[in-house]
Amino acid sequence: MNLKSLRGLVLPLLLLGAWEYASRQDAAGAYAFVPLAQVGAAWVEVLGSGELLVNLWASLLRTCTGLALGIVGGIGLGALMALSAPANRLIAPLFHALRQVPMLGWIPLIALCFGNGESAKLLIVSLAALYPMVLNTFESLRQVEGQHREAARVLMLSRAQQLRLILLPAALPGIAAGVLQALAFAWVTSVGSELFLSSGAGLGSLMMNAEAGARMEIIVVCVLCIGLCGYLMSWLCTLLSRRLLRWRPTR
Amino acid sequence: MNAIAHALPTTATHGALSIRGLSKSYALKGKPMQVLKDIELNIQPGEFVSIVGASGCGKSTLLRLIVGLDQAYQGQILLDQQPVHGPGLERGIVFQDHRLFPWMTLQQNIALALKNHTMPATHKDRLVAEHIALVGLSGYEQAYPHQLSGGMAQRAAIARALVNKPKVLLLDEPLGALDALTRVRLQQELQRIWVQERCTVIMVTHDIEEALYLGDRVIVMDAHPGRIREDLRIDLPHPRERDSTVLQAYKQRLLGELVGH
Ligand SMILES: Nc1ncnc2c1ncn2[C@@H]1O[C@H](COP(=O)(O)OP(=O)(O)OP(=O)(O)O)[C@@H](O)[C@H]1O
Ligand SMILES: [Mg+2]
Repeated sequence: MNLKSLRGLVLPLLLLGAWEYASRQDAAGAYAFVPLAQVGAAWVEVLGSGELLVNLWASLLRTCTGLALGIVGGIGLGALMALSAPANRLIAPLFHALRQVPMLGWIPLIALCFGNGESAKLLIVSLAALYPMVLNTFESLRQVEGQHREAARVLMLSRAQQLRLILLPAALPGIAAGVLQALAFAWVTSVGSELFLSSGAGLGSLMMNAEAGARMEIIVVCVLCIGLCGYLMSWLCTLLSRRLLRWRPTR
Repeated sequence: MNAIAHALPTTATHGALSIRGLSKSYALKGKPMQVLKDIELNIQPGEFVSIVGASGCGKSTLLRLIVGLDQAYQGQILLDQQPVHGPGLERGIVFQDHRLFPWMTLQQNIALALKNHTMPATHKDRLVAEHIALVGLSGYEQAYPHQLSGGMAQRAAIARALVNKPKVLLLDEPLGALDALTRVRLQQELQRIWVQERCTVIMVTHDIEEALYLGDRVIVMDAHPGRIREDLRIDLPHPRERDSTVLQAYKQRLLGELVGH
């Protein structure tokens, strides 16, 4: 059991070993693959100066805000499209066309309209989270079984009660899967938007500054942080959705 | 001498169901296909009516029309002389699959049926607890449907249909998916519950013995189009002996009719 849960660490440790090995080959290697000791020192440095926490907090806050906006908007829009055929006919073509544009493709346009401040970044993150939420909400509401709908009608539930008590819970597994996707997109675009719209705080900005100062070790610290935080957030999300979906038979 | 009067004291005054000239067609590849033809049926308040018939003869369709899930039909369905329009809480149905909502506990599933009643919450809680006890599921209030056995889920579905005190209870092969032993036990329970609740019951079943054991009447249906072939009165008081010679004789006769021709 203990050994099994440690298996996931084998590959990262091997990678670290290879990294350290590469850093000890020659000067060029040591520049690209910074020795682990130096990375550790940089970690302590940016933690101590508060730089890391300030920037991490900025990125996290934006991710969570954008994610929340995307989730609420996406569930709303997806539900509207699933429940109203006219609304679906009106919105679907535009939505699916806009969806084809990659998130990075929006950045120049958004920068022109909204500048390169926080609101522009927040918009990018929300949009990135919105797409999977709309798609998953729409699909899973559409797939709610007719048998559930019939049982609800026989019990004389109103339309609003059917939505709240039957349709949304029935669609919840699909919506939860959407949240996991949205979370990944939000985190990636949150850091990504900082690389393109360099202003204000954030892990992306910290990386850009470190690159300008040729501080490879700080970039590595940032990359590790991004990976770790993303992993932690999706782990938390998984826990939460397991709790919400505890009524499902375990397969 | 009416045997029903023994089991049913005069309290069952509501739940008279009257079906007049009922016909129903489905569109199949653009062509109308008649599923039910000229169904005439008068059911007394508190009567237990079993319906048997070949697969596809329209038994489920008939129940769907009575419960109001499908309103495209010809003819009339009257409950206590009033035409029915759409679903209503005075008619409860148990589908062949239990159709409990998997995200709700047993208690929440049953309480959902009382959602739009304007009675105090404590009263609702008591009704729910009573009906869970009625179907013998006390102790499982907080279980989710996937934690119940097939028979328990079916009993829960019966409790959900009964908690509204419907005048008419419609059962669509409620015990069809269960093993023989559980089925016999639930048949006894169904009989006990019905004697206690005294609502009108229409039960569709594939099991002739079950139809005879429980029914005051057994309706035999023919297929293509679905129509009533025979309306058999079983004048035996409830509770009944499963191996009574009268029932055995009826069983032979029905088997001969259903399989013989
Ligand atoms: N939604 C539908 N659209 C078209 N035809 C239907 C529909 N529902 C049922 N039918 C047809 O109506 C006929 C009667 O179906 P129904 O389900 O009422 O039969 P049943 O007597 O309940 O059969 P079983 O004993 O197998 O449950 C069948 O021939 C079926 O093909
Ligand atoms: Mg059927």
